[in-house]
Amino acid sequence: MSSNRTPIAWTAICVVLIVGFLYFFYTPPATDIGAVQPIPFSHRLHSGVKAIQCEFCHPYVGRATYPGIPPVEKCLYCHTYIIAKHPQILKEHAYFDTRTPTPWRKVFYVPEHVFFNHQRHIKKAVACAECHGAVETMDRLKGQKFMMGFCIGCHRERGATLDCWLACHN
Amino acid sequence: MNRRTFLKTAGVGSVSVAAGCTSQPEKTIYALVQAPDDTVTGKALWYASTCRECPAGCGVLARSREGRVVKVEGNPLHPINQGRLCMRGQAALQAVYHPERLDTPQLKENGEWRALSWAAAEGLLQEKTRAAAGAGAGRVRVLTEVIGESLAALFGEALDQWQSPPPLVFEPFAYEALKTANRMAFGVDGLVSYLLDQADLLVCLGADFLETWLSPVEYARQFKAMHALQTNRKGFFAHIAPCQSLTAANADLWLACRPASEGAVALGLIRKALESGRGQSLPAPLRVSLTAASAPYTPEKVAQLADIPADAFDRLAARLLAAKAPLVLGTATAGSGAADVAANLAANLLNRVLDPDLTRIDFAHRHRVETAAPRAEVLDFFKRLSPDTTGVLLLNNVNPVFALPGAGIAEGLGQPGLFVVSTSNFMDETTLLADLVLPVRMPLESWDEYGGKRALISGLQPAMGSLTAAPGLGDVILRAAFGADPPFPDYQGYLQARLTAQGIVDGKRQWVEFLQRGGRFDLPAAPTLAPLPAEVPVAFDPVPAAAASLVLVAAPSIRFFDGRGANRPWLCEIPDPLTKVAWQTPLLAHPDTLANRAIRHADVVQVRSAHGTLEAPVYETVGVRPDVLVMAIGQGHSAYGRYAQGEGVSPLGLLPPEADAVSGGPVFTAGDVLLTPTGRQMPLAHTDGSRIQHGRKIALTTPLQAAAHDDAHPPKAGLTMEDFPLTLPLPEGYDPMRDAYPPHDHADYRWSMVVDLDRCIGCGACAAACYAENNIGVVGAQHILEGREMAWLRIERYLDPQDERQVIFLPMMCQHCDNAPCEAVCPVYAPHHSKEGLNNQIYNRCIGTRFCSQNCPYKVRRFNWFTWQWPRPLNLQLNPDVTARSKGVMEKCSFCIQRIKAAHGTAKNENRSIRDGEIQPACLQTCPTAALSFGNLMDSESRVRRMVMDRRAYQVMGYLNTKPAVIYLHKVVQEI
Repeated sequence: MSSNRTPIAWTAICVVLIVGFLYFFYTPPATDIGAVQPIPFSHRLHSGVKAIQCEFCHPYVGRATYPGIPPVEKCLYCHTYIIAKHPQILKEHAYFDTRTPTPWRKVFYVPEHVFFNHQRHIKKAVACAECHGAVETMDRLKGQKFMMGFCIGCHRERGATLDCWLACHN
Repeated sequence: MNRRTFLKTAGVGSVSVAAGCTSQPEKTIYALVQAPDDTVTGKALWYASTCRECPAGCGVLARSREGRVVKVEGNPLHPINQGRLCMRGQAALQAVYHPERLDTPQLKENGEWRALSWAAAEGLLQEKTRAAAGAGAGRVRVLTEVIGESLAALFGEALDQWQSPPPLVFEPFAYEALKTANRMAFGVDGLVSYLLDQADLLVCLGADFLETWLSPVEYARQFKAMHALQTNRKGFFAHIAPCQSLTAANADLWLACRPASEGAVALGLIRKALESGRGQSLPAPLRVSLTAASAPYTPEKVAQLADIPADAFDRLAARLLAAKAPLVLGTATAGSGAADVAANLAANLLNRVLDPDLTRIDFAHRHRVETAAPRAEVLDFFKRLSPDTTGVLLLNNVNPVFALPGAGIAEGLGQPGLFVVSTSNFMDETTLLADLVLPVRMPLESWDEYGGKRALISGLQPAMGSLTAAPGLGDVILRAAFGADPPFPDYQGYLQARLTAQGIVDGKRQWVEFLQRGGRFDLPAAPTLAPLPAEVPVAFDPVPAAAASLVLVAAPSIRFFDGRGANRPWLCEIPDPLTKVAWQTPLLAHPDTLANRAIRHADVVQVRSAHGTLEAPVYETVGVRPDVLVMAIGQGHSAYGRYAQGEGVSPLGLLPPEADAVSGGPVFTAGDVLLTPTGRQMPLAHTDGSRIQHGRKIALTTPLQAAAHDDAHPPKAGLTMEDFPLTLPLPEGYDPMRDAYPPHDHADYRWSMVVDLDRCIGCGACAAACYAENNIGVVGAQHILEGREMAWLRIERYLDPQDERQVIFLPMMCQHCDNAPCEAVCPVYAPHHSKEGLNNQIYNRCIGTRFCSQNCPYKVRRFNWFTWQWPRPLNLQLNPDVTARSKGVMEKCSFCIQRIKAAHGTAKNENRSIRDGEIQPACLQTCPTAALSFGNLMDSESRVRRMVMDRRAYQVMGYLNTKPAVIYLHKVVQEI
């Protein structure tokens, strides 16, 4: 029995170290503030400080399934004049000049078998913030993992349809 | 395995499953650089264009989502197809997204293909054409499929530059016999069109107008306009041909005449008509010669020549003479040579006798396929093809090596010194022999114009971004012919200028309107008709060889046309309408023929004619005469990509390679065919469980006399198959004596479909549309043999056990039962009844027990045994509004829930309820004969609600008390 004690101790130490390493490697405090974007766009600044309407950049939200993300051209409407020489804006210009689509990271998404229709929710006066949170307070968006309960809860509360196909799935 | 290994494996296995089992969607979202004006993410854009899958030229609307076309549908404004499309039209998309579509030009060097840049390929074409033109006149030749007038004009101008003759138009089906007969009988050297909808009786000498003949979607619609039940009458349709095509299967009377004896039957009918005093207004010389020519064709003689029952012929003649508006159509798309001219001429003259003013023949709107050169001319072209006379040969979307085997095409193209350029996007048999392959844009990516008929012009515009960097054909020709200084910067400019010069469009506004509407359909029609010839050389020799030998008929296929459709997986997967065999090409033979030779169904036989040999499995059917064998044209490619190569066989190699001397047309029959068993068998990949209904009430018919009564349902109140009442899937259909479960409450809507079997012709366009709309997997022949096909909607074909020549078609899809057997047996509630009556299948809930499929009496549920693949870029066609299912999940028809939801969205936006007819499921949208109706049963004014009150209404196996929401209407049959 006593001859096993040392290896068991070593094994226990290794396990603790590995688990600890993995924990700190994958969940350092900095990863919790949202994905790194190709251009460090701040929702706090645009939506909060400058109070630009959500629909200005996401114009299709009231008339289609998807809200749309702004084309590079739209950013440059303002940024040709505002901080035009900022290195990140120059990067934006480079995207425009080389006709390269900007590879933004998605932060809000639902699984592929869910068809979330933005138009229907906007028409029912569901505020953007109800699902997306207070984006005007965040620089980088953290996103939220939407589970089915999130949708169902709200649909129950408001008496919206709970029909599988007529609501979310096709 | 010892315990230790087991635990280790189990441990590693469970960890890897836990770690690897995530379903994360694509995490990157790309922002456009500039948003196009008309694009809204998630909303479809529709572009009007023209289908170029066959020469008919139907108008299409292409549904574009985020820059890629995901569906094509008929253009409702287009006069040819009026919003409908056949299965080949639906499958046009699979050519655009075909995984083997060439994405660079290819140059053959020392027998090896080398990829080339587009500029280099065009440069080479320019250099070679210039060199050829410099070496003398007539050294640049073009062989093309039927093309629009503008492109033909541009070809003409370019070839003028190169001092060469205009392009030769090659179509494997060019209707030479019909053209010859039209010239003789009407003085029209072309292909007139017919007004089937204005006839009350149709006699057809083999023309397969529901499948490939001239303009099948248009004629299918017109046919049902005259042949569907109208209050208490219905047109009559008799088909006279040696084999039962889909068209013949839809006839009220099919007379199985001996091959090449159709003309004799028509002459017999002429004789009867003249005898009864018709034709008095014909010019005297014609009447005299016609009387003389038809005199020998007494009913007895006709019955003997054509080997048809004399009494049936007499009754047909009596019916024909009693008809107010009879119309006679000519022979099949694939004719039988010399006898064809006689038969078509007899048909034309019969029309002149019966209707001297020819009111049901439209001379103004002639079919554009008339521009195709006769086969003899094409064969002659290849015979003369040599490096001494030709420097460059440009092949535009033609495959003569496949279409004309045995004519020495391959040798002709392979001659050293001859530079062959192909513009095909696929390495087909002909393209493989080219020196340079310069793929051009496909029709859905191009600017062009095409008029399927005269006096209408149909536009083509890019409905999507190009998948490859290929240039348009017109642009290539402009640059090649006019070098650095073309008269127009691009073909679009050329097209616009030409249409403007012709007064078809006037200014930019009209050009936009032209594109939006899909063309100009109101052009002034040419003067209809020159005076009819007073004298017609009535030289008939339609006497068929009464040989005891077998005749092989090669029939064009509704699925593959002349073979160009063979590489589209949907067309291979959707079974043939009559045999229900997919992927394979069986040889159709009569049971007597087989019994005499000790051959059984599905035996592989060797078929030998004077011109070739092939081996194919046999399909036993009474749909052919005992002295006839039938095989479909289209498959049996030796190249043309993974879906075509090695699939099926082609009967073309068995046919005589020479053209017929009279019309210059091809001969699609081969006489003296020998049939020998090989001793092998080949299981046929058929999708029908049985040919007959085994006494069950599935596809029902009713005689015209009974249907003509317009009283309501006969009251029924029993529980047996015979007297079970029609039970609507509504609360009113609840009966405490029969039902174990309480009725479903439906909020506002209860969706229902009505299928009029009297209108269904079994063409399968609905099935193709369903594949396209709902991302249905293609499984291939092997899996079909294992019963794993995935079609949500299938056409069931049943034969009458009393007379197997009587065929009935029944579209079968999920019946969305109110008392659904599937819902009750699922352990996880994956099938679920929606508040609008739909039977929802929740894919993510499904654990794949397949209990539901076992318990479904309609067998419409499909299980995913595998995760079916869409080889890139076929996946780009997938409808983004429909979830693609994966392995282990049951799926089935949803009544196109995505379209229902879209209609809900529109209605909510406009603060109204959904209008009747607003929702068009994909199958209904494309049905050429409008056999399907969809709507709300809760609305007492809706079309479906009114239709279910019809006394023909019934539910398939409704006696099981499933209360299906798909209500069928009896097919109405009539006897002569």
